[in-house]
Amino acid sequence: MKTPPWAVPALVVLFAALGIGGARLLAVPSVVRDYAPAGPGPRRTVVLVVDGVKCTDTAERAANQLKDAPGVVRLVAYASRNRLDVTFLPSVTDPAAIRAAIEGPVYDESSGEYLFGVYKVVEVDGVEAGK
Amino acid sequence: MRRLRFLFQVAITVAAAIAGVRFALGWARTSVETYCPFGGLETAYALLARKRFTCATGEVNLALFVALVGLALIARKAFCGWACPLGAVFEWTGRLSRRLFKRHTFQGFWSIPPRVDAALKVLLRTAVTATILAASWATGELVFRGYDPYYVLFSAHGHDVRTWSYGILGALLALGLLVPMAWCKYLCPLGAVLWPLSAVGRLRLERSEEACTGCGACDRACPQALDVSGPLQVRSGECTLCLECTGACPTPGALSLHLKGAGR
Repeated sequence: MKTPPWAVPALVVLFAALGIGGARLLAVPSVVRDYAPAGPGPRRTVVLVVDGVKCTDTAERAANQLKDAPGVVRLVAYASRNRLDVTFLPSVTDPAAIRAAIEGPVYDESSGEYLFGVYKVVEVDGVEAGK
Repeated sequence: MRRLRFLFQVAITVAAAIAGVRFALGWARTSVETYCPFGGLETAYALLARKRFTCATGEVNLALFVALVGLALIARKAFCGWACPLGAVFEWTGRLSRRLFKRHTFQGFWSIPPRVDAALKVLLRTAVTATILAASWATGELVFRGYDPYYVLFSAHGHDVRTWSYGILGALLALGLLVPMAWCKYLCPLGAVLWPLSAVGRLRLERSEEACTGCGACDRACPQALDVSGPLQVRSGECTLCLECTGACPTPGALSLHLKGAGR
């Protein structure tokens, strides 16, 4: 079947749109971390967009930031979206405390030093984070 | 159509450069790596085996790779000719080569014999692809980032780019002057993966024996230096459907695009 030449760029655009659009349907966690059981009670999940979470390694480090945070139950990181879904006990902690823990100094094992400003929370539950 | 393709190539190249600079300056959270379809293949094993992506790759890489497989099965290597920024850069280098060495074709400074050309396309690209995939799958890291001309050129001195990375990029561009499209033809791992799919792609250029005058303008215009004027149908898996041949053909209807039926 004879095909007009414009079919080629049209197909390229169509498949590029399918690729980028299709990515929205996929959501594979980079890191899933369950912390120590924090007791019974209602739980809440806060969705954070964090500058500095850009790959599996940086997501692992961000997860380490919450290992001693009281009331944090679970973290699911989507590195390619710079996103951390943090489940916590509202009776023990709140998003502000979680944000402070993530943005706190990061212990660097290779140098044995604390690094500052590694992570910056830019969005909390879809709302731009204030300074 | 030539002008439209040139606009596509300029747009994608500028967009890649802007994306790299924005990420480097901290103005954007997605780097140029996010939009590399080959990253989707590099990360596929990690996703199957470890249920997570290889570092610095993600859903977009994987979805783009899957979409690209679909595109190749219909429109062959149209991605390379229309939407690959690195392909555009190497094609422009090839055009510069034609002017520098006053050649009428994309054969370049050295004319590589067809058998050697075919062997290099298969062996070199397969070796490069196998090495990259084996290393990425074993380590879970994009270990060849510093050697990747796409990343070195568009990441605005991104992570893992060293001084020698620019040396490699310069050497590849210089090689592209001597042998136009050398990267795409002999080294590109994505090109290697797309080649068998492209070979069975449904959209094909056909030559009408009645209308064709045998002037050879199509051969001279082909950036991949394919034999367009010989066969009645361009079956090569290297055809990028850039349509330079149809644009160069002086006889209307001598070259046209056809969608082959599933059974043919």
